This record gives sequence, C-alpha cells and structure tokens, in this order.
Amino acid sequence: MLKKSLLGLGALLLLFPTMAFAADGDPSAATLNMGLNALWILVAAVLVLLMQGGFILLETGSTRMKNAGHVAGKTIFTVGLASLVYWAVGYGITFGGDASEGLNKFMGLGNFFFDPSIVAGEGDAYPSTIFFIFQLAFAAVSLSIAWGGFAERAKLSVYLIFTIVFAAVIYPIIAHWIWGGGWLAADGAQDYAGSTVVHLTGAMAAFAATILLKPRIGKFNKDGSANEILGHNQVFTSLSVLLLWVGWFGFNAGSAVSVGEGFFGYVAFTTQLGAAGGAVSALLISWLVKGKADIPTMLNGALAGLVAITASCAFVEPWAAVVIGLVAGVLVFLSAQFFEKIRVDDPISAMSVHGAAGVWGTLANGLFATEKLVEQVGVGKAGLFYGGGGEQLWVQFLSVVVCGAFAFAASFIVLWVIKQVSGLRVTEEQEIIGLDLSEHGTYGYPEALKRAGTNATTL
Amino acid sequence: MSRIDLARRLLEIKGAGTLQDLRTIREEEQERVGALLQTESWVVPVVEELNALHDALIRRAITLAEQDTARMGLAAPPVPYAYFLFGSGGRGEQTLASDQDSGLVYGDIEDPAEAELAAAYFGALGSRIVASLMEVGYPPCEGNVIVSNPEWCLPITAWEKKVDRWFAEPSWENVRYLLILADARHLAGDDELARRWKGRYVGDMMSHADIARRMLENTLRHKVLIGVFGQLLVEAYGENAGSLDIKYGAYIPMVNLFRLLAMRADIAATSTLGRIEALREIGILSEEKAEEAAWAFEVFLRLRMLSSNRDDMGEWAGSGKLKPALLGKEEKAPLKKALRIGQRLQRQLEKEMQRRFGGR
Repeated sequence: MLKKSLLGLGALLLLFPTMAFAADGDPSAATLNMGLNALWILVAAVLVLLMQGGFILLETGSTRMKNAGHVAGKTIFTVGLASLVYWAVGYGITFGGDASEGLNKFMGLGNFFFDPSIVAGEGDAYPSTIFFIFQLAFAAVSLSIAWGGFAERAKLSVYLIFTIVFAAVIYPIIAHWIWGGGWLAADGAQDYAGSTVVHLTGAMAAFAATILLKPRIGKFNKDGSANEILGHNQVFTSLSVLLLWVGWFGFNAGSAVSVGEGFFGYVAFTTQLGAAGGAVSALLISWLVKGKADIPTMLNGALAGLVAITASCAFVEPWAAVVIGLVAGVLVFLSAQFFEKIRVDDPISAMSVHGAAGVWGTLANGLFATEKLVEQVGVGKAGLFYGGGGEQLWVQFLSVVVCGAFAFAASFIVLWVIKQVSGLRVTEEQEIIGLDLSEHGTYGYPEALKRAGTNATTL
Repeated sequence: MSRIDLARRLLEIKGAGTLQDLRTIREEEQERVGALLQTESWVVPVVEELNALHDALIRRAITLAEQDTARMGLAAPPVPYAYFLFGSGGRGEQTLASDQDSGLVYGDIEDPAEAELAAAYFGALGSRIVASLMEVGYPPCEGNVIVSNPEWCLPITAWEKKVDRWFAEPSWENVRYLLILADARHLAGDDELARRWKGRYVGDMMSHADIARRMLENTLRHKVLIGVFGQLLVEAYGENAGSLDIKYGAYIPMVNLFRLLAMRADIAATSTLGRIEALREIGILSEEKAEEAAWAFEVFLRLRMLSSNRDDMGEWAGSGKLKPALLGKEEKAPLKKALRIGQRLQRQLEKEMQRRFGGR
C-alpha cells in the first residue's frame, strides 16, 4: 500500500514538477478564502436550482393528472428561457454598474449578455461566474412561484412571453432596489435571502395572473361556495416540500455568499427552526379549526415557515426564528381561507405561501432584528423588540408595499396586454380535456388517460 | 292536531283503497306536519304523530300489496310472516323524507318443494311491498337493506343461522348488520314470529367481548361536529359548503351512543328517547345526565326534521344538512350547547370502553 502511494507520488512529481516547490507558490489566504467561497456559493446555487424539482412536484402534485405533463415540463422550459433572458438582460439590470446615479436608484445598466472573466480577479471574494449562477437560480425560483397563479388554465404562449418580461425586467428591478444598490438598499431594507425580492415578487405575479385568468372551471359554484379541486398526488406534494426545504439551505445560507467565519451556519440553523415551526403550527391550526388535520395545509405551513424566515434568517435569535415559523404556519392557513372566500382560485396557494408569509417574514425583521446580528450583516438597524424603535419596521413595511405594488402592477399590465392581444386562457374545451393534450399533444400519464374525451372531464 | 283528528286520519289511512289515496293523504299530512315543525318548538309530539302516520301508511301499503299479490294468482301467505322496520323507522324517528329500511321473516316449512313455493311467494310480496311504498313516496334503501332483497326476506331458521354467522364472524360489515337489527321494530304481521326472531339476538350481543368492542368502534365512527373552540365544523367545499351535517355529525352519534348503552343494559326500546328513559330508570344514567341527553337529542331531532325538504322532483328528500347561517342566534346557541353535550357523552363512552378493552 505504502509502496503504491509513493509510486503514485513520484509519478505526480514527474508530471507536475511545481508541486515539489509548492512552498514557494503557496496560495495566499485571500485566494484560499475566495476558493472556499466559490465552492460554497456554487453548491448553494445548485441547491437553489434543484428547488425547481420541488416546484415541479409541488405544482404537479397539487393539480390534476390531465395537466401533469404540461405543468412539469413547462417548468424546465421556462427555467431554460429565463436563463437566457437573465443572462442577456436581467443580470445587467440588477447588478450593472453603468447607470447614472439617479437612474441607479431605480435600475442598473451594463453587463448585458454577461461575459465574465474566466477566473476570479485580484481581490474578488468569489468569481463573478458563480455569483451569476447563484443569482440566476433565484430569478428562476421567483418565476416558478409565479406559475402557481397560472396553473391548469393558461396558454403555453403566455408562459413564454411572461418569462421574457419577468426575467428581463420585473424581477431584476426589484432585486436591484434591495440587493443591487438601488433606493431601498440605501434605506437599509433587510431582506437577507429574498422574502420580498423573490417570494413576494413571484406571489404578486401569481396574484395578477389569477385575477386576470379567473378561477378554473368548477372551482366556484354560482352561490359563491367553493369546490375542492384535489391535487392528484399528495406524495409528490410532500416530496416537493422536502426538496424545497433542503434546497432552501442553498437559498438562505448561500446568501451569505462567503464562508468566512462560518456565519452561514447560523443562517442555516435559523432556517431549520423557521421551517419546523411552520409545519407544526399549520397542521395544528387546521386540526383545531376544521376538525381534520389537513396535509396540504401542513405542507404549505412548512413552506410558509421557510418563506418567512428567508428575510430574517440572519437577523434574528433562535427563539424568534421559531416564532416567525409558527406564525407563518397559522398565517398561511388563514390566508388560504381568505383567498377562497374572495373567490380567488389559487391552486398551489402561491399567494398565501409566498405572498402572505413573505410579507410577514419581511416585517418580522422590523420586530425581531437584534443589534448584534444587524452589525454582523451590516444592513439596517435593530427591530422594535430590540430597542431599535419603529424605524426598521417602517423601512420593512415600505419595502413590502413598494415592491409588492410594483411587482403586481408590472405583472398585471404585461398580462393585461397579452390578454387583449392574444388571450391568456385556453378554451373551455381545452381546459376540460387538459393542457397536456391541448398544448402538447400527449398526456403526462398516457396509460391512465387513454380514453381521452370520454372520461377526462372527471379527472 | 287533536287526538281525535289524528285518530280519524289514521282510520282514513286504514280504509284507503289505492296507493294513490295513500299518497294523497301522505302529501297532505306532510304539508301540515312540515308547517307544524316550523312553528312548534317542542318537536317530540310532532315526531310521534308523524311516525304514527308513517306506520299507518306503511301498514296499509303492506295490506294492499298482499291483495295485489293475491290478484297476481299467488293466493294468501302460506305461513305467517312479520315485517320489520330498521333504521329511523325502527327507532320511530322518521323524518318527512324517509326511505325503506326493512326486513321480513316468515315461518318455517319442512317440505322442500313447498318451501320453494313460499320463498317465491314472499319474494313476490317483498317486491310488491317495496314497489307500493315507492308509489306512496318512500324511496328504497340505498344500502339494499330491504325486503325485496332475498338476503333480508327469509324463513326464521335461515334468519337465525344468518344471525349466528354474524356473531361468529364479527367483521366490520357483520357488526353493522347486527347494529341494524338492534333497531328493528315489528310493524306488521305475526306477533309470535316477531317475538321469537327478536328474542334470538336481543340480550346476546354484548356478551361477546369481540362484538362489543367492534360495535364500539362502529358506534364512535361518526364524531360530533364541534371544534375545540366551540365552533361548528361545517363542510368547507361543494354544494353543501357552509352546512353542518346534522344527520351524521349530531343525530347519528347520539343514536349510536344510546343504542350501544341500551344493548349493554338489555333494553328493548328502539327509540333513542325511550332508550335514554330506560337507562335512567335502571340507574345507568343519572337524572341530570338523562335530562341533559334527552334535551340535546331533541335539539338534534328538531333540526334534522327541519333539514328535510322537497327536492326538484317534488319528492321528499332529507339531505340531513343545515346551513347554520340560516339559523337565528336563539337557535345556534342551543345547538352548540347540545353538540358539546353530545361530544362529552361520546368521550365518556370512549374512555370507559378504553378501560374495558384497553387502548387500540
């Protein structure tokens, strides 16, 4: 064994003679630091990208068989399209540094058709290539959240057009405001990993879509009462939540964008507590109020806990993380009931999970942010319960209202125009047959749905 | 309606010559009783009156069916028979909309050829009874517990064998059948036969620990629909969204509960209020508890009566569901109180049984 190792070492020395003199070319501490950061951020980016698997299962499991292939497949397609658009335009609008000072408050310019240097530059904390992939993965998550409001009735062409506008303009502008040096960043808005930027933005797009698309056929009765359109696979939905939960460690802990002294570990830690709180409280509240412990509500609760802790994971103490999660779980249950009451059909509960919980998580910073953690992160001030007064709460409130309103208005306008020009929704017939057949020509479950037209309506 | 009026009405039913006459009487009475239910706050006498009418109508329809069968050339019943009502009919708790849950037992015949003839006769009679009652406005039982089903129309020995088999094999379904039998009430036909048939299993059921345990499980299957915050657990979705399932979320749990207690105490009464009263008499229920239980049951009975309506086809149909939003405050409060009483009783029984049989 030893002999073999020595032999190997000898061979390596012959091939790479510099190794023998490594002492001379020791990488500097900065390079090592950069390398570690790069590694972690890329791992995080991959985790966030893998969350798309979660969205595929979440949306498919929560909807009907006849749309399964479409729902799942369109996610991959739009991730692809969004990647191209974000590369060409979106990234530049978020992080481009060429805009005038006045314009930069609103949007960045530059770095279009992003052409990064192939390795990290002198003094960089990480290679820009990896940062790009990480940011792109976030944009794609926000987009996939929005799809919840489109589910089971929008035309495929609408997905295509909306992806372009969303990934090029809507998401990048909001991301610029808070993360890219825009006007809210200057105000000290705390949104560590994107409760507002990613989740509320996506939810608002979903909200606009669901208003313009109107409820699915059969969701509401004439007298205003709702029918339950059950998703076709609760196992998918449960697995999706696990995938998203795991991916969220990339989302939140990755947002430290450094390894440094290990602060990203603390972020991961609060993230776990928040998610756990959401899952537990949502199941209990549905059990108490409805008399039955509802699985979809519990799953939404876990996600709501994650969404809420996303803004606050780096700013709050462990107990506060638990409280934020617990409240999010209850909130998502109430919110879903509210939307149903006002006759908004939200098949995946996107507005409740990402919207209501996103708002709560962002506001929670204004209550629970601690002096010490604010110092650590270097954004904003302590919250109401930690001697910071109402100032941070106001900033948080402002960022929620402004970002929410902008995302909603922009999405609404884009979709309204599409609606006037080409229409948003498939025909009634197509909707009944299912989008698998109407948009793609084959079923996601061909064996189960062979006798199309005869029984598809009941599925 | 005064007693005399009711007696006259019952006589009228007895003298009715055609099913159409019976239907007409029924419709008139339903309208009247329906109106009475809206105004009377004490529901028990109204329910008793309504059930007396149902009983008379069904008895008359059976007599007419016998005559029809005779006209078809099958002569008179070859042996005595007894007709039983199950379900709400058996308990004397029929609503304006009631279906036919029924069984028929007839005397044994030694000779196989004659036995076959008798089977054919009672098969024809059973079918005729069911068809006649449908004409009078009683839809058939959805679970097929009905005299036109050969399984529920048998000579007494066959019945006894069948019931023995249910005892020997207390599967979920067989226990359900035994619980159905527990509500059986003899409505028409031979008394002696009826006594023999009921005597066969009454008092025997709870002696089998296995059966008692299964019955408990079956009995506690429907939970009282009230939540921990005292909120009504209404349906969230569908055409009955916002409605409370009075039948399965309030009335049936109480029926099941007192059936089980009555069976354990060997009480023969089949009506729920009768069972509560008998349980009080022998001291299984305290005065206070019996009064409370009877009060709660009457609240449910009344709302259940109110929840039956005419459907689109003009037939009486009971959804058993009620929109609490339509109830006034003065009605909602007692309903909630009654539901809490029901829930408490259910929990007590559950706990007691848990002690007896151990946890599941």
